[in-house]
Amino acid sequence: MRIVIAGGKHQADFLIKMFLADKHDITVINKDEVFSNYISTENDIPVFQSDPSKAYALSDAAIDHSDILIALSDKDTENYVICKLAKKLFNVKKCVCIVSNPKNVRIFKKMGIDSVISSTYLLGQTVKTELNVEKWFRTLSIEDEKIVMTEIVVEDNSDIVNKRLMDIVFPRNINISCVFRDPEVIIPNGHTIIKAMDKLIIISKPEEQDEIVRFIHKTS
Amino acid sequence: MKKHKIIVVGCGRLGATIATKMSEYGHDVIVIDSDPDSFRKLNDSFSGYEQIGDGTDLTVLENANIKNTKTVVLTTDSDNTNIFIAHVCFYLYDIPNIYVRLTDNDKGTLFENTTIKPIYPFKLSLNAFLEMVGEPL
Repeated sequence: MRIVIAGGKHQADFLIKMFLADKHDITVINKDEVFSNYISTENDIPVFQSDPSKAYALSDAAIDHSDILIALSDKDTENYVICKLAKKLFNVKKCVCIVSNPKNVRIFKKMGIDSVISSTYLLGQTVKTELNVEKWFRTLSIEDEKIVMTEIVVEDNSDIVNKRLMDIVFPRNINISCVFRDPEVIIPNGHTIIKAMDKLIIISKPEEQDEIVRFIHKTS
Repeated sequence: MKKHKIIVVGCGRLGATIATKMSEYGHDVIVIDSDPDSFRKLNDSFSGYEQIGDGTDLTVLENANIKNTKTVVLTTDSDNTNIFIAHVCFYLYDIPNIYVRLTDNDKGTLFENTTIKPIYPFKLSLNAFLEMVGEPL
């Protein structure tokens, strides 16, 4: 894949190494002279030392029809403009950027940036997940929290232990995608029998999560 | 001219002067800038509001009652900031009159298919020059 990395320092350096290891074509555009020199001496890739929020800089770097552009500058508005120009003038397929103001995640997406990442936002998500560990389950949100993946352990006194999935009357909309029984990973069907201490991976809507957790933990 | 509500973001020389003029014309003007010192550029005849804050933050714009504003003027010193706020005003708040100063002509392409109106000091200066030397435009 053709990947463009615009701006950034440590993150850029890290991503460049990671993508090169996976044999992608990388182009770097960075304002910083020292950093640009460092990257071009360390790696055998094209490095353009200029302001990636300028149309001519993107043109010089020949980013037309690249697969992904990643904007890593520390200014949110700069990243926004870089992504917009890349899409509009150079038909870059996907634009990803970081933002320092977590409120911008929602706004940038609304205005057409494909993927927006805020470290504060992720931090908040991680803390939420950590807090849930106490409750004996873990959560991963996908698609802006429209889908949640719940990882939950079946305790040995739960009602569903030693039953076949087809014999259990589940609440609506429950979908057990995977059963993890160390070291085995089971993709379940109706005949799969739930054992105590099985770890279930369940996909659901966020509003149904509480009901699912209650159901799995139910004891008679 | 009917009395309008106008928000000016960026109280530099241009922003401050536009705000003062519009205020003199009798419009309700709010000027937003993150630097409190910048408001000193406003003339004594300015009778609008000064709001300290970052114009790229939606909370700041909403506090300035952006939802009931018909006209926004963007004159910060950063093209990127101006473009971002212009897009926010156009795409998220449907503001009919948006005026933006842009130093980089190339970036005007981001206003295609919108009603956002760019002002290019470069073009204005060039045209003024050509006019002075008497060359056809």
